[in-house]
Amino acid sequence: MLSVLNRGTAAPGALKPWLLLLPLVLFLCAFFLVPLGQVALMSVTEPEFGLGNYAHLTSDGLYLQVFLNTFLTALGVALCCLLLGYPLAYLMAQSSPRVAALLMLLVTMSFWTSFLVRTYAWMVLLGNNGPVTAFLAFLGWDPPPHLLFTRLSSTLAMVHILIPYMVMSLYSVMKRIDPALLRAAESLGARPWSVFRQVYLPLSAPGMVNGATLVFMICLGFYVTPVLLGSPQEQMVAGLIGTQIEEFLDFGQASAMAMVLLASTLIVLTVYHRRFGLDRLWG
Amino acid sequence: MKLLPKLLGVLVALFIAAPLFIVVPMSFSTAPSLEFPPPGYWLGYYAAYFTDERWTQPTINSLIIAFGTTVLTMLLVTPATFAVVRHRFVGRGLANLMLTMPMAMPHIVLAIGYYSYLGDLRLTQTHLGVIIAHTALSVPVAFLILSANLKGFDRNLERAAMSLGATPLRTFRHVTLPVLRPGFAISALFAFIQSFDETVVAIFISGRESETLPRKMFESIRMQADPVISVVSTLLFAAVALVILAPVVWKAVSRRRSRPDARGGEPVAKEPVPNPCAPTRVQLEA
Repeated sequence: MLSVLNRGTAAPGALKPWLLLLPLVLFLCAFFLVPLGQVALMSVTEPEFGLGNYAHLTSDGLYLQVFLNTFLTALGVALCCLLLGYPLAYLMAQSSPRVAALLMLLVTMSFWTSFLVRTYAWMVLLGNNGPVTAFLAFLGWDPPPHLLFTRLSSTLAMVHILIPYMVMSLYSVMKRIDPALLRAAESLGARPWSVFRQVYLPLSAPGMVNGATLVFMICLGFYVTPVLLGSPQEQMVAGLIGTQIEEFLDFGQASAMAMVLLASTLIVLTVYHRRFGLDRLWG
Repeated sequence: MKLLPKLLGVLVALFIAAPLFIVVPMSFSTAPSLEFPPPGYWLGYYAAYFTDERWTQPTINSLIIAFGTTVLTMLLVTPATFAVVRHRFVGRGLANLMLTMPMAMPHIVLAIGYYSYLGDLRLTQTHLGVIIAHTALSVPVAFLILSANLKGFDRNLERAAMSLGATPLRTFRHVTLPVLRPGFAISALFAFIQSFDETVVAIFISGRESETLPRKMFESIRMQADPVISVVSTLLFAAVALVILAPVVWKAVSRRRSRPDARGGEPVAKEPVPNPCAPTRVQLEA
């Protein structure tokens, strides 16, 4: 009797899981690994065989500038998300369950709303006939500054788009912080500020690292928002890759940049994995 | 001291909320270009969205592609998830890695790959091409959700069915599938949304014939010409709000209803409700 039940997992053991996996593995080989390999291949064969595209990346100041710009933007966005996300996550962790649930609902709603919708919303807000410009003019800024298609507008929109990741990472850590620890510090005579700085902040650090890593990584390869809202003079890597393909059909150069972008992303992931374990990042 | 951080938190909440809600009044605006507050209100752009083929066709394309992606993803992912969760075999770690890898790729990298590879196969600008690319991108999400559900599944239920003489297929159909139904449903929903929302790859590989809604939106935001974009934005935002609020309302209603007749009957199975905002959507899709 038992042997019948166990047959599923034991007898043809080694073969069965691979049979179940086979369709998906074949599919991913054909439609994920091969296209990815093609990008790697194009980066060294288009237009001619060799490392010319990569050499070009390091010799041409434009490319270095774009990579530096992307890196700094991603860093800035991650920092802004942290600075803004922290008070909100703190508020959620300190409020009643009802208020926390309400705020979570808001964050979730933003999280699930299409990037395009949120990008468009910022276009309305920051446009020449928008409320922010009107407000600045009201304050006496004459003529009001041009906000759209600048580094400011794309950074602001990216912070808004990515902040839910940060808040969720922080909140999941903060709500597990035992309030007894804070009371203990207080009863030992610590001032509110030093309770926060010496107890709460270190305990919430894993959430900060998680959130910042996620935001930084997503921001590195961000295409939609910088292209739509950013300054055409200060492109980010993904945007420049798009331009190379759409306007110049320069697949070799675009592929080389894509490989560098991919490598940077994977390095961030690997460092994180070594230190904290990837399963924590995906939740 | 206590007040200041809370005040900051409220301000950040407003920062998150304001852009989301601003698209709603914009969609009723009579202004032909970006202008806020709107000079007047009407429904003209809603009428335009629902009648203009340049908007209805991408919407239909997106629905077809998202549906195709969901079906293909679930057909491929279901057996694979059972293999990875229920069996110990050489290469299991590798399989796990491969199934989650598309998640860690910046979409622009894959977009180049698909642009040239699917082009060679003459699949760009076709629905099938987009479905194939979106399926590869949806696999990790569907796999992670389904495997989390499958890990929590009590295999004694299957053993009981089989000891009563059910064939493996019957057991799967009448025991495994019904118990895991919520997991399948959520997994499929995420695959659907993943495809429906995906922008970057679609921009590069969906041509005029298979243009998706996000691509159409991207193009019209880029041209800054079409006020219909605010209608689409409002509808998408409303759909998200509906999907997120529905379970909350449902829970509140059913709690109220179940209270008076708590006199036994069938015990309500407590299914683990996956957090809808769990970072399973973490993808470098931006």
